[in-house]
Amino acid sequence: MSDTLTNVRELAQGTTRRPLFAVGALLLLAVPILAPSQSDLATEALIFGLFAISVDIVLGYAGLLTLAPAAFFGLGAYSVAKVVVDYGQSFWLGFPVAIVLALILAFIVGYVPIKRRIGDVYFVLFTLAFGAIAYDFTFVTTSVTGGSDGLGFFGPPEVLGIDLGGSLPYYYFTLLTVAVFGFGLYVLIKSDYGDVLHATRQNELRMRYLGYDTNRELMIAWLVSAAISALAGAVYVGSVGIASPSLISFALTGDVIIWIIVGGTGTLLGPFAAAIGLVFMQELLQSVWLEGYRLLLGILFVVFVFALPDGLMGLIRGEE
Amino acid sequence: MYEIPLITADNFITYALNGLSRGMIIFLVASGLSLIFGLIGLINFAHGAMLALGGYGTYIVIQATGNFWLGLVISVVLVTVLGFVLERKVLYWLYDEPLLGFLGTFGLGLVIEEALAVYFGSRSYTIQSPLSESIQVLGVTYPSYRLFVILVGAVVALGIGLLLTRTRLGLEIHATANGQPTAEILGVDTARIYTLTFVLGTALAALAGALTAPITSMYPTIGLDYITMAFLVIIVGGMGSFKGSFVVSMIVGQIIAFGWLLTAPTYVRILIFAAAMVFILYQPRGFFGKPEVHE
Repeated sequence: MSDTLTNVRELAQGTTRRPLFAVGALLLLAVPILAPSQSDLATEALIFGLFAISVDIVLGYAGLLTLAPAAFFGLGAYSVAKVVVDYGQSFWLGFPVAIVLALILAFIVGYVPIKRRIGDVYFVLFTLAFGAIAYDFTFVTTSVTGGSDGLGFFGPPEVLGIDLGGSLPYYYFTLLTVAVFGFGLYVLIKSDYGDVLHATRQNELRMRYLGYDTNRELMIAWLVSAAISALAGAVYVGSVGIASPSLISFALTGDVIIWIIVGGTGTLLGPFAAAIGLVFMQELLQSVWLEGYRLLLGILFVVFVFALPDGLMGLIRGEE
Repeated sequence: MYEIPLITADNFITYALNGLSRGMIIFLVASGLSLIFGLIGLINFAHGAMLALGGYGTYIVIQATGNFWLGLVISVVLVTVLGFVLERKVLYWLYDEPLLGFLGTFGLGLVIEEALAVYFGSRSYTIQSPLSESIQVLGVTYPSYRLFVILVGAVVALGIGLLLTRTRLGLEIHATANGQPTAEILGVDTARIYTLTFVLGTALAALAGALTAPITSMYPTIGLDYITMAFLVIIVGGMGSFKGSFVVSMIVGQIIAFGWLLTAPTYVRILIFAAAMVFILYQPRGFFGKPEVHE
């Protein structure tokens, strides 16, 4: 390995790690001041970062590859738009509604496959079918979901005299939400529950002998993931102002999987950073070569799957 | 209010033939996937991209020579060669890791589809049907090209069915699927069987793409729509069961053709996907699956 890479690793591993986090956090705080025109993009990047983390809980920690995370993200977005626009209720009511609906849907969809312990391969195909149905569903329930037009949304309300509809206030609102829930997931994963989940991935049979209900552990991960995905979708709709079928599409699911693999499965920080980095890279590249971004993204993804399966975090941590 | 669609003796046959031609395309995609999935255990997400390549390859050759048949042959051959190279150089070491296999082929499919999008743009292309006239069948006038598709599907089904049941190669494929170590001991070159199966599956996908190009318009991500359907067909038919993928493809083709009469296409898709979800949970071996086949 080259010297530079070793230096980067030492930086990431050693005592310098905390200051690095601090610098990252300061950067996130300062984005609207450093680049005011980019704060909408930064908001989107942060939300996708949280979304990537929430999916990594299932993929990286529970070891279940799901092809339907966009269904929950979209459900969150549609919930908020529906609550505000069609029912005239508060923006804030949209969030608990999104989370509760996502938990109910996730329970209905996930209960049988997790309880019956269908294999990895079947779980992938099961969620593929579910994701396809969720996407198709928006087109047949035009009266509820607005069909291909989606549901327009008039923007978030004022809080304490600050109009959240502005780019800057909404960025900080997003940052706060992402920080709180991102940290919450971190605490959850570092807790005893996280250890149990990790051990279950390592040796499920032994965990069952030890008396752990491993199905319950997987179910909790699945539900938490769905709820946080829906929350990310709910925050997203406040930023872009429309809930459209593209939020449920397989393309978004593909993007999440790419962020996670590039960042490093089972690391939380990796997928978060990769999502933010790639959203900004997309903006940068699209001004140069509009059609080429997704091709480069695909090539990057293939390189990571084949050459660096542990992702960026694996690269930084080195052999562990 | 709701209008009950009229099914007369005449259009019944037309719809049945539509279902048959649609079912044949689904079958070509599904049987390739099923062979690869059943034997290797690989969720080959690049399969749809191979279909797209088959369609676009045909389009390119038609632009150059104006001959559909030449386009069909050349694009199927080229995509088959690509499949061979991919299997030999890239994919073989993903076989023991189902999730890595999915991710690897997903990435390859993404690269191919995006390369098509960069080259052709994301707009869709249509190919002029090479057999534009209609002929009389069973008392109805029907486009001859669709009959040709039905014929090709039937011939391929028969050919592969015979290959699997009547030849030594078919025996070796079965032996490898039932237990790779045992097959090795018995002198089967299982690496060669894997390659052959993958290449055959890829050729079927490319053929499906080339055949479907004059019927539907081509767009870079067309394969995704087909493989989602095809994966669910092979689940219901039984993983790795050739007969299963044929029978279920035919049933799904008819459900689509007649379902569109009664309700919107999206409802028909939802119905099919929901049925597949139930099968995955309660009957993961499908109608025709055998317990010893790769799971």
